[in-house]
Amino acid sequence: MREKMLSNVKGISSLFTILAIAGLLVCFSVAAATAAEPKVALYIQDTEPILDWDPSVESGGGMLVLNNVYETLLRYDATQKKIIPLLATSYTQSNYGMTWTFKIRKGVRFHDGSKLDAKAVKFSIERTMKLGKGMSYIWAPVTKITVVNKYTVKFDLEWPAPLDLIATSNYAAFIMSPKAVKSHNQDWLSQGNAVGTGPYVLQKSTMGEEVILRAFDDYWNGWGEKRYDFAVVKKIVESSSRRQMIEKGDASATVYLPAEDLDQMKSNPNVIVNVGPSLENTSIMFNTQRAPLDNKLVRQAFAYAFPYKKVVKYAAGGYAIKARGALPAQLWGHSKSLFQYSQDLEKAKQLLKQANYSQNSRKLLFTYVSSMEADKKMAEMYKSDLAKIGVEVELRGMPWESMWELSKSRKVEDRQDIFAMLWWPDYCDPYSWLYNMFHSQKEILYNLAYWSDPKFDKLIDDANYEMMFKKKKSLALYHEAQEMLLDESPSIFVYDKKNTLVTHKSFKGFKDNPAYPNVVFFHETYPE
Amino acid sequence: MRIFIIKRLLLGLLVLFGVISVTFVIVRVIPSDPAAQWVGPRATIEQIEAARVELGLNDSFFVQYGNFVADLAQGDLGKSIRTHQPVMTELKAFLPATLELVFLSTFIGVFLGLYLGVVSARRKDQWVDHLCRFFSVATVSIPAFWIGLLLQYVFYGTLDWLPLGERLSMNVKLFHEIPDITGMLLFDSLITWNLVVFWDALKHILLPGFVMALFPIGLVARMTRSALLEILNEDYIKAARSYGLSERIIMWSYALKNSLGPTATVVTLAIGYTLVNTFLIESIFSWPGIGNYIASAVVSLDYPAIMGVTIFSAVSYVFLNLAADMIIALDPQVRT
Amino acid sequence: MNHQVISWNAIAPRIKEFRETVYLLKRNKLTRIALLAIYALIFIAIFAPWLAPHSTHIMMDTNPQDKLLAPCTQYLFGTDELGRDIFSRVLYGTRISLQTGLLAVGISLLIGVPLGAIAGASEWYVDEAIMRVTDIFLSFPGLLLAIAIAAILGPSLQNAMLAISISWWPWYTRIVRGQAISLRERQFVKAAKAIGTPHYKIIFSHIIPNCIAPVIVQASMDIGGVILTIAALSFLGLGAQPPTPEWGLMISTSRTYFLSAWWYSFFPGMAILITVLVFNLLGDGLREVLDPKTRKKQ
Repeated sequence: MREKMLSNVKGISSLFTILAIAGLLVCFSVAAATAAEPKVALYIQDTEPILDWDPSVESGGGMLVLNNVYETLLRYDATQKKIIPLLATSYTQSNYGMTWTFKIRKGVRFHDGSKLDAKAVKFSIERTMKLGKGMSYIWAPVTKITVVNKYTVKFDLEWPAPLDLIATSNYAAFIMSPKAVKSHNQDWLSQGNAVGTGPYVLQKSTMGEEVILRAFDDYWNGWGEKRYDFAVVKKIVESSSRRQMIEKGDASATVYLPAEDLDQMKSNPNVIVNVGPSLENTSIMFNTQRAPLDNKLVRQAFAYAFPYKKVVKYAAGGYAIKARGALPAQLWGHSKSLFQYSQDLEKAKQLLKQANYSQNSRKLLFTYVSSMEADKKMAEMYKSDLAKIGVEVELRGMPWESMWELSKSRKVEDRQDIFAMLWWPDYCDPYSWLYNMFHSQKEILYNLAYWSDPKFDKLIDDANYEMMFKKKKSLALYHEAQEMLLDESPSIFVYDKKNTLVTHKSFKGFKDNPAYPNVVFFHETYPE
Repeated sequence: MRIFIIKRLLLGLLVLFGVISVTFVIVRVIPSDPAAQWVGPRATIEQIEAARVELGLNDSFFVQYGNFVADLAQGDLGKSIRTHQPVMTELKAFLPATLELVFLSTFIGVFLGLYLGVVSARRKDQWVDHLCRFFSVATVSIPAFWIGLLLQYVFYGTLDWLPLGERLSMNVKLFHEIPDITGMLLFDSLITWNLVVFWDALKHILLPGFVMALFPIGLVARMTRSALLEILNEDYIKAARSYGLSERIIMWSYALKNSLGPTATVVTLAIGYTLVNTFLIESIFSWPGIGNYIASAVVSLDYPAIMGVTIFSAVSYVFLNLAADMIIALDPQVRT
Repeated sequence: MNHQVISWNAIAPRIKEFRETVYLLKRNKLTRIALLAIYALIFIAIFAPWLAPHSTHIMMDTNPQDKLLAPCTQYLFGTDELGRDIFSRVLYGTRISLQTGLLAVGISLLIGVPLGAIAGASEWYVDEAIMRVTDIFLSFPGLLLAIAIAAILGPSLQNAMLAISISWWPWYTRIVRGQAISLRERQFVKAAKAIGTPHYKIIFSHIIPNCIAPVIVQASMDIGGVILTIAALSFLGLGAQPPTPEWGLMISTSRTYFLSAWWYSFFPGMAILITVLVFNLLGDGLREVLDPKTRKKQ
């Protein structure tokens, strides 16, 4: 027995020797291999790189990946506020915005080798419309798509709509190869296949974890001298992990780091903290159908009790600007002359008194998305300030799905009183923004203040109608509509977020475009 | 013996059926709207309605239950609400990574645990024993999610000895042939003698493997110690001692062998526990396994995925229990 | 009347046994330290609001201009992301953890013990039915079941507690059933049955009091595990809600600030470790002392 034990020990130690030698060998081989290795860009984020690979369906986070594999007819540059041609070289509108004609770019190939033409455009948009999933509703005004000639396509609309903006949408406006899609079954794309015209080809996708993209050599726009041969998008949940990886240069770019980390990283010469405006804004929706928040005075009191400055400074860590009105500063329709609330606890107390608010009323329920650290901090600070004016609040962090479900409960009593909301535009248009959040709705969807006012409805409907032709009048109407929101206070407009994308110093060429939040167009970037 | 096994199997099936039913009920009462989720973040009312029909959510509860059981019988766990992919396919893709982690940590746990237990029992009530006992109690008391973060900071952030997470480095993944036989990288790469991959995979699995091994270490050590202490008081050990056999031989060849029965039960228990612990640990180490999968599923209330993992774990539990029972039944001491 | 005397006779030696147990427990060094630590924790739990140097930081105030300060004399354990004193919050967290831990175990006992006694003392079909349900619950990974239940009930500390109880009771049912089966054959139970005592009365006045001791031992050993599970649920966002200073929740939040403030996750983590450790040490000692095979040989 003893001998056996000893021989076991011997076996183990010789195994270790083998391991050590193997380790050395590996080190050498890896060192030798790095010299000729192709360049890899690694983008890490806290969410899945993509959920559904079907470009007609996906609307849940695959914006970055899809915009590198697929392309849209046009792209919107939100910093210059202009539309750039992409797969369409030019377009015209006629018939009061009811007919749109696009000239399609020549010499563009899909990843499967087939050529882009007007038919492919018609096929892609019609497929998206027919499937009716994801954000396909942006095409709702379109009644007919006609192939005029090989490189011209015409859209007929039922009502005037900014089809050029719609074609820049960050989801549901992608053009895919008809040949590839037709030769497979319906689910083929969903299962993790992609055939677009974009600069990168899908090489491998591990569901929910990682996407590996390879440069497409036949890309129509060509390649510069230096490029990334591979672009990898990966989910890394812990923000501390993401920060450590980017600081060591193990990753090229990352998003959603906490403000504290960003502040510290600014002094690190190895990383660049890119801060830019975004079209996302955070607001707080009051339950306007249930006491005490059904009272306008109480809502105004709550708006005065909100610690705007502290929230911008500490909850958002300074990476935000205080909101003015419902629409973010970068969105057309925003007005610089709107009223802005600021914290005034005395005034809030006075308003509560005026409203006969009873100090002993029930605890109000404040829900927020539990994974949003900034919202959590905002909620805690607001809670402590509301307590100062005698209002008790219970906080509840929930997954978005359950929070949304609770807010749509049939009985008003089951719903929350205060709801922390994050909103972003589907395409750069104020109407869909205000419509979704504040237009009367028969069935509750995103109008989570449950607010309904025919006067407001008419204001934004008119503003939308005028937008195509009398921009000034339209702006004035949007201004009026937002003034109304501020006075009625169904909602507190808190701040416009800033996009913060951290890149390693070796990762060059990134340009921020708030219309495609946190998207890196890898074709623009190069290693150094 | 055969009757015993058949009886246990039948009972296991019954329990499984119960588990499936309870899971179904639980998941249906979780407040969320699967239809709205199915469509995505910016759903319209019409889309949600269509999805409700597509997913069969308008059917009565019992029809839904019937469909669910019928599908399950064919190995169909439904489609994930988030990714729209069959849950079964996803489970299969994520399973090997988890199994690898569970096996390795159980392996580490059993060996270190046995060793600690034996040392502790041999030096009973000496300071070594106290230290070992303290250590083994401490390992089951540490919040694993906390120690995981701490170790990451030390071994990656400060010392830079080990990678932060995942199963392979990006370079290895992109530019090396990754063997895929069982999906368990350590095993596959060793079989195909792919040392680059083996070394890389080993470096990656060390930290999560160790964190997950903590609990089994403590469990096995404690159980081994108390089982050994009992056995060391038995007459045949005393007899062996009186023959002048060395303490080492008595311990390793007589006593330990006879304490393996209870230890085996504990090991199955430890495997079960480790499996659940992956839910907390994998997401910290970005380990692409079942635990990570269910962590995302829970956050977004992806109920088919939650059900799939629950049923999978329950099945493994039932089998583990069965295995433990059989080990006990096969143990000569119990049988006589 | 008659059966009351019998049960007193059954209880008397148990009291002596209990005294002996306490004596044996205290003889073991590790266990004695653990006991002392538990007394200290209970003291802290009771007097936390008065012991805390910044008691308004527990539930009420936010103080963001002092956010994430390193440990110093004013803030012994540093401050959190909203400038609150972590020391005060960790102290108060003791109360929350002990309270919820004890309550969760208590609820599990309330469900598990009667069911076990009924199963053990009743006809075979009742026994089978109860035990198969128990098996089903035991086949769920405990944490997963708790996660699912917490998801249904909505995230809060009370619901997390309930969820844990629901996944924990079957263990007690098993233990009590085993005890009850052996008690069923004992003289005093047979006697009570013979004189026509109703079934439920036998269960509640004879069976349960006589098999409670091993259950209590098991329960005291479980408190550590339960506290750990509650922390894990809070860590996953399914337990305590801010601003409650629950340790698991604090660690969960601290992940975001991990690299800029090590103290934020360190101290709550140590608090969990120490609390669970001392309860487990006590449980370990108890088991050793109460196991007849190792009892006298201490």
